[in-house]
This record gives sequence, structure tokens and C-alpha cells, in this order.
Amino acid sequence: MTEKSIWVFLERKGDGVEDTSLEVLGKARELSDKSGLPVTGVIPGTMDGGKLKKIINYGADKLLYLDEANLNNYSTDLYVHSLESIVREKLPEILLIGATPYGRDLAGRLAARLRTGLTANAVTLDVDDNGLLVSGVPAYGGKIIAEIVCEKSRPQMATVRPGTFKPYFNEKRNGEIETIRPDISGVRDRVRVRERKISDFLDLTKSKRTVIAGNGTRGDLGLVKEFADSIGADIGVTRPLADRGLISRDFQVGSTGYSLRSEIAVILGVSGSEHFTSGIKDCGTVISIDLNPKSEIFQHSDYCIVGDIFDLIPKAIEKMKVKM
Amino acid sequence: MRNIIVCTKVVPKSDAVFFDPVTKRLDRTKAENQINDADKNALETALKIKEKYGGKVIVLSMGPQFFDQFLKVAIAMGADDAILLSDRLFGGSDTFPTALILSTAIKKIGDYDLVLTGEESSDAGLGQLPAQIAEFLELPQVLFVSSLDLSENKIIARRTIKGGYEIVETDMPAVLSIELGINQPRFPDFRRKRWADKEFQLKVWSNGDLGLSEDEVGLKGSYTSVRRLVEIQPSTRKKIFIEGTSEEKVEKMIEIINERMNK
Repeated sequence: MTEKSIWVFLERKGDGVEDTSLEVLGKARELSDKSGLPVTGVIPGTMDGGKLKKIINYGADKLLYLDEANLNNYSTDLYVHSLESIVREKLPEILLIGATPYGRDLAGRLAARLRTGLTANAVTLDVDDNGLLVSGVPAYGGKIIAEIVCEKSRPQMATVRPGTFKPYFNEKRNGEIETIRPDISGVRDRVRVRERKISDFLDLTKSKRTVIAGNGTRGDLGLVKEFADSIGADIGVTRPLADRGLISRDFQVGSTGYSLRSEIAVILGVSGSEHFTSGIKDCGTVISIDLNPKSEIFQHSDYCIVGDIFDLIPKAIEKMKVKM
Repeated sequence: MRNIIVCTKVVPKSDAVFFDPVTKRLDRTKAENQINDADKNALETALKIKEKYGGKVIVLSMGPQFFDQFLKVAIAMGADDAILLSDRLFGGSDTFPTALILSTAIKKIGDYDLVLTGEESSDAGLGQLPAQIAEFLELPQVLFVSSLDLSENKIIARRTIKGGYEIVETDMPAVLSIELGINQPRFPDFRRKRWADKEFQLKVWSNGDLGLSEDEVGLKGSYTSVRRLVEIQPSTRKKIFIEGTSEEKVEKMIEIINERMNK
């Protein structure tokens, strides 16, 4: 049976759900309240009943539980096939996917297979009066948002930038769980994972205090880290520093990295391109230090300090040490 | 080793694109173009594989005729051949028809072991093209590759996932997207550049050469459309400049941090 609905693909993280997926689910809840379309979460792989019920609390009206142990780990071939089958059967209006590496791997291929439109890395989502999904994507250096619609095919697909939306939670929420056993017997998984290494990394989108380093730090992440530690903050970097391979992309802030919600962000030596500043707009207090008094970053800061990082930061570290 | 096909995009340098708040249009006339940075990393990867295992490196791009100069840069860097897919009918293509056009051209080139792309383009940053090309070619895909090697007929690649990486193995042929910055793209060779400019015959294929119907490409073949462009709201930050000596600045900064931390 088909019913018009908003689907959210729930990416697995171990035996739970990826945070980005819960953020997207929270936003889908909001879109549902506006449009009247119910929210269905799609969870692949085996999971115990308690955990499944808990996902409902994050805003779903219904869960499609793809009960198949071969889906416990991500696989392009198996996931695309399974999703394709249930989408063709149930014909959702909208399908949202978190723009994590796996999510992006899945979304592009699935959209091509379903012959439908996909908007990538959306930072705004809305449903208009006609029930059309309107996805906003930063374009051309992030100076503008292009609002994209998909009028002639279904589902309307979008991937959503991690950290963009806040999860919803209501422990009293109830919903139906429909168990589906996807038939993957005829599908060969052509990409074999030989080794998987996930570091115990910090999820930047949850960081309460963040010190973010740009080119002005000359890549001296030792100094930046020492300062961050002194104020109990996590560190983030701009894209150019991540591109130089100084630190993994899990620490990259901005439109191709993560969006922050820190209470305090201290920004060191960042010029302030809009690709970057879109990643700090939801932070509480923003303090920036840069040598250039005309730096664009100051337009996006609450407190602006014109000065030399290599003079000011060691002094700040000293002062924090004295206090402790 | 058979052909190594590298899909490249010519993109405007983003700091030279202006938004006209009145017409709500983009002014790209002042923008210089260049080969997308991640695509240069893909090309460098292809050239290294060629040096080690042989094969021909063929660069493929879609766009107007004047993009030929950028493909000649790729030739000067060491690519063996370059094909520009150029047709008015292609204008307005979103990712879906673009992937269809590129994959149709890749089939026409034929005899390939690897199709490489950059992880995403700097102008649109969608990164969905490689997966769609792989789908149309019915090949395995490995995205966000940070290093790779070949062994027999297999590809062993390290790909970035959230919080870490995976080492994966797949059979050739396959489609791989290469992460930005994983290598240092070589400089164009001066003598090769002169040869590319004067003698090299760039192939230009139109829609007729690919045999796609008019409904499959361009705006007609696209599933998404831009409803409108919105200027990003100016920030409402306080923008208070902290003045004084270095000591005073540091003192004030720590005061602000402590105040927020104790809230």
C-alpha cells in the first residue's frame, strides 16, 4: 500500500543510528507538521526492538525496519538495491538522506537508478504550498543559496549537510514499526571492505566550545591545540588546512565540512569566506583574531581582535595556566 | 592496463563570481576559469597509475568550445588524449543528464579499466556525479578515495568514511572519486604545452556523436530546477572591536570566554 510520506534514511552507526540522520529526522518532523505528510524512517540492518522504539521518539510516525543482517554495514550495491525496491513499492513523496560519506555514496546512485532529482548538501529545507520540497544549497563560494525543486519525478531526494538541523525528541511519541525482509539474494556486493578504522573522534557538531584555525595560524596546530586545551575547547579547521592534510576532514568547518552549534567559537587567522562562515552562523558567541583589520571574518564575529596570533595566543595560554 | 578516463570540470574561480541583488542573477563575466582542483588530483592519480602500469590517460569534459584551452593544459600535464563534449543541447543539464552524457561518452571511448573524477566540484560541490556515472556504466564505485593501488585486476583503495577510513577492494573496471589534495598535481610541461596548443587535435563530440535524444539532455533531461537564488542574510553579530595592548586584548578575551563558560 502506498501513502504519501516523507522518508528519512537512517544511517547506522554501530548498532545505533548516525547523529546526522536524527537531525534530518527532526527536520522531517517539522516539515510533516507543516505539510501533513507523515514521516517514515527507514532503518537497514538488524536492531533490537527497544532501540527501534527509541528512534520513533526522534520524530518518526512510522519505521520501515529492513531486517537483514547483511545490511548491518554499509554497502553501495546492497543498500541501493534494497532502497530501490521499497521506494518502488511504496512511492514516498520525499526521501531525505544525511550527507555523510556513506549517505552521499548512496544518494547519488539511488537517484540515478530511480531516475529522479537529487539536491546535494542542502542547508535549508521547506515544503511549499503545493507540497513540493524546496532544498537550499550554497552556491558560488557560498554567497548565495540556490533553492532547488524537483517537479517532475518522485521521490524528491535531498542530502542534508551534517549539523544543519537539531534533533527532535519526545519520549512519549508512538509509532508503527513495519518489518520488511529485503530480498538481496540476487545482488553481488562488488566492493569488499578489508579493513575499517574509525577513530574515537569527536563529533564537531556537538562541540560546546571550539577553537578554529585558519591559514593565519600557518598550520601550527600544536599551538592551537594547546590554547584549545587551556580553555577546554575542541579544535576545528578551515578547508585549506584540512586540504593540506594537517588533520582529518572530521575537523573541517564550513559548507563541505560541518556546521557548528558551539556556545563559544574562537576563530584564529581565518579570512572568512562564505563557505566557512556558513558553518559558524549557529554558534553562540564568536570571537575572532586576525592580523588584517579589514578581514571579512570580523563581519561574522561578536568580538574582533586585530593582532598577531603568535603574540596573543601564547599570552592567553599563560594566563589560563595562572588561573588554574 | 586499458584506458584510464578522467572526468574533469572547468569551474569559475569562486571569488570572482558576483551576485546582483537587483536582478538576482550571477555575474560570471569577470570570473576566470580553471580545471576543478580535485579533478587535477584525479588526473595526477591517473598519470601516476599510467607511469606504473601503462595504459592511456584520456581526459573528458563537458562545456562550451572555449574549454578546449583547459583540456590542452591537461594534455600538457601528460594526458594522452582529450575529448570535449560540447553541444548547445547540453546547456542547463543538472547532474542526471550530465552523468548520462559523460557515461555515454565513456562507453563510446570504450576499453577502459578506470574512470576517475574529483570528489566534488568547487562551484557546485554536489559530489553526486561519480555515483551516477557508475550507475549508468553499471560499474562498482568507490568514492572519497585518499590513496589507491592496483594488483592484478583489482583495485585496493582507501576511502574516507565518517570518523575514519576503510580499505576496500574491487575489480576493474570501476569508478573512483578522488579526494581533493591527496597529491600534488604536476605542472604542465612547457614543450608539451606548445605542442598541445599548435598541433594536438582535440576531439569535440556533440549530442549527435553520442546518439542521445534531445529529451534526455539539457533542461529537458534534468529532474531538478533552480526556483530562485537567495542572497545569504548579512550576519547580525555584534562586531565589537577589542582595543588596547596585547595584554589587554588577551585579558578581555579570557574574560568573555570565562563569562560564557560559567553561564
